[in-house]
Amino acid sequence: MKKTIIVETEKCLGCKTCELVCAVQHSNTKNLELAVFEQPTPVPRRKVEYINSVIISDGCHHCEEALCVSACMSAAMYKDVDGTTQHNEEKCVGCNMCIMVCPFGVIKRKGNVVVKCDLCKGRENGPACVESCPTKALKVSMQLQQIS
Amino acid sequence: MKRYVIIGTSAAGVSAAEVIRKLDKTAKIIMVSDENYPVYSRCLLSYYLANDIPEEKLKYRDEKFFDQNSIDPVLGKKVVKIEPQKKVVLLEDGSKIEYDTLLIATGARAKLENIPGKEKYGVFGLRTISDAKQINTRLNKTKTAVMLGGGLIGLKAAYAVHKRGTEVVVVVKSPHILSQIMDSEPAEIVQKHISQKGIQIQTNLAAVEILGSNQEVEGVKLENNTVIQCELIIVGKGVQPNIELVKDTEVKTNYGIVVNEYLQTSVDNIYAAGDVAESNDLISGNLTINALWPNAVIQGKIAGYNMVLGNTKKYDGTLAMNSVEFFGLPVITCGVTKQKDETIEVLVTKNENKPVYKKFFIKNGVLIGFVLIGDVEQAGVYNSLVRKKVDITKIKESLVSEKFDFAKILPLVNANKEKFFEPEYCEIV
Ligand SMILES: Cc1cc2nc3c(=O)[nH]c(=O)nc-3n(C[C@H](O)[C@H](O)[C@H](O)COP(=O)(O)OP(=O)(O)OC[C@H]3O[C@@H](n4cnc5c(N)ncnc54)[C@H](O)[C@@H]3O)c2cc1C
Ligand code: SF4
Repeated sequence: MKKTIIVETEKCLGCKTCELVCAVQHSNTKNLELAVFEQPTPVPRRKVEYINSVIISDGCHHCEEALCVSACMSAAMYKDVDGTTQHNEEKCVGCNMCIMVCPFGVIKRKGNVVVKCDLCKGRENGPACVESCPTKALKVSMQLQQIS
Repeated sequence: MKRYVIIGTSAAGVSAAEVIRKLDKTAKIIMVSDENYPVYSRCLLSYYLANDIPEEKLKYRDEKFFDQNSIDPVLGKKVVKIEPQKKVVLLEDGSKIEYDTLLIATGARAKLENIPGKEKYGVFGLRTISDAKQINTRLNKTKTAVMLGGGLIGLKAAYAVHKRGTEVVVVVKSPHILSQIMDSEPAEIVQKHISQKGIQIQTNLAAVEILGSNQEVEGVKLENNTVIQCELIIVGKGVQPNIELVKDTEVKTNYGIVVNEYLQTSVDNIYAAGDVAESNDLISGNLTINALWPNAVIQGKIAGYNMVLGNTKKYDGTLAMNSVEFFGLPVITCGVTKQKDETIEVLVTKNENKPVYKKFFIKNGVLIGFVLIGDVEQAGVYNSLVRKKVDITKIKESLVSEKFDFAKILPLVNANKEKFFEPEYCEIV
């Protein structure tokens, strides 16, 4: 199975709700009013991007052949048993090797380590961005993975 | 039951072993290494030396890696020769290991310069955990350390030793540091930043002799006849592939072991991957070794597939790319990073105050390389353009824009579906 988040560009208005809830969800306090005071500042793992009139909300695609996992020299970036690409901040040394190869540019720096979408692992209602998107432009997708 | 033997337990060897085990649950897999240490990441050695991470964190795989994958490890034993006709590898102690298919992932070793006095105690390369531990011990007796070489290893070592409270001088033969991976303008930004943090850099100077009585380092003499008093010297003058084990065999070598697009050597059942393997460069197409961790991991993986399934997976070529961060200043380079001739177009954007510096190299409408300093977050998107070799003329302006991100290349992705074929590109609908 491949698990990831799909974005429908036609529905995305660029309101950045996903960025906001993502940053809060991954903050220490998980509370908007308090999170803004945290150091280092909470970082969203999705990014609203645009070209001409096309708007997308992009985040980790949990690539089948994850280049970040191959590039990570400390094994902080790894493939989980469910096929998602996960990151262990404890092991990360902040070398940016993963940033160097991520084709979507969705690995972000936070203090001395990097952060990325973890599909809100362990969150009961699934990814916070998907749940909160007002136009339902985001959805979790499960595809059968090709055996390569 | 097939017998796979892998020489080398580092980046390339480990990724190959994992793929082989995934594809063949019953095969016998034997891994040989002359290092008697669990699987570790040598890239982290400078962090370890700096005391940024404890020894425990050098481990790149669980202690039980060999057990978990039912691999027979043969550690602390050097392979001295392979005999392709007999399909055996010979170990230093005289023992033999038979194989059906062999992977040579012996990597490379630090080049020690041919300089008088280099055998004195206190001169080290930084390649293995044993090097790092010896440097550690020597640091107790060190007031000043000299790095010979202003490349990535020299500078990483300089950072580490400086962090340990030692005075550091980097001696660089070239006119500027990082001369292998960038030209003078960006290098000077990095040089200025490092110097401000207290690391001394002396350029345009070669070391001519290592001084010291009692076989211990006491100083280094430079070509201008000055002497730097020091107790420790770390040599960062590049690496040399470990190919001696195939000498006088049918396995073809050049600088490294020559492999085809399947990572196969000139002998059918022998593959090579990682720092030891010379393969086609993704940009120039010439046989090259880009001795880098990500290349070693991916090569190991592809070699593993092909060793089990026959030559089914092609390697698209090795790519020069580097990422480092010196005292909070991130630097990423990729592909061609110098303007070799007029056919290469160069785009630059900079902000000296931050500092931010970005330089792009374009040939025949294709991005062939870049240097990013200060702001590196979109490096991977640029990197994908280099790898996919698409015409970027349409989006050239946005390359240098502060707002560059994946969305800006969407028109190229949509116009070149055959090149952006990975399923992930279909997840934006
Ligand atoms: C300090 C340092 C920092 C680095 N930083 C980076 C970085 O930031 N980014 C990056 O991309 N790369 C970096 N590198 C380079 C990276 O470590 C190498 O590209 C990578 O380790 C290559 O992996 P490999 O498996 O090909 O070979 P190696 O890691 O060299 O491993 C070779 C293996 O083969 C074994 N071996 C060799 N000869 C024999 C023999 N005759 N018999 C038995 N066993 C043998 C060795 O013991 C070892 O296990 C760094 C290297 C160093 C030393
Ligand atoms: S920054 Fe962290 S996760 Fe990324 S490659 Fe380096 S160690 Fe791995």
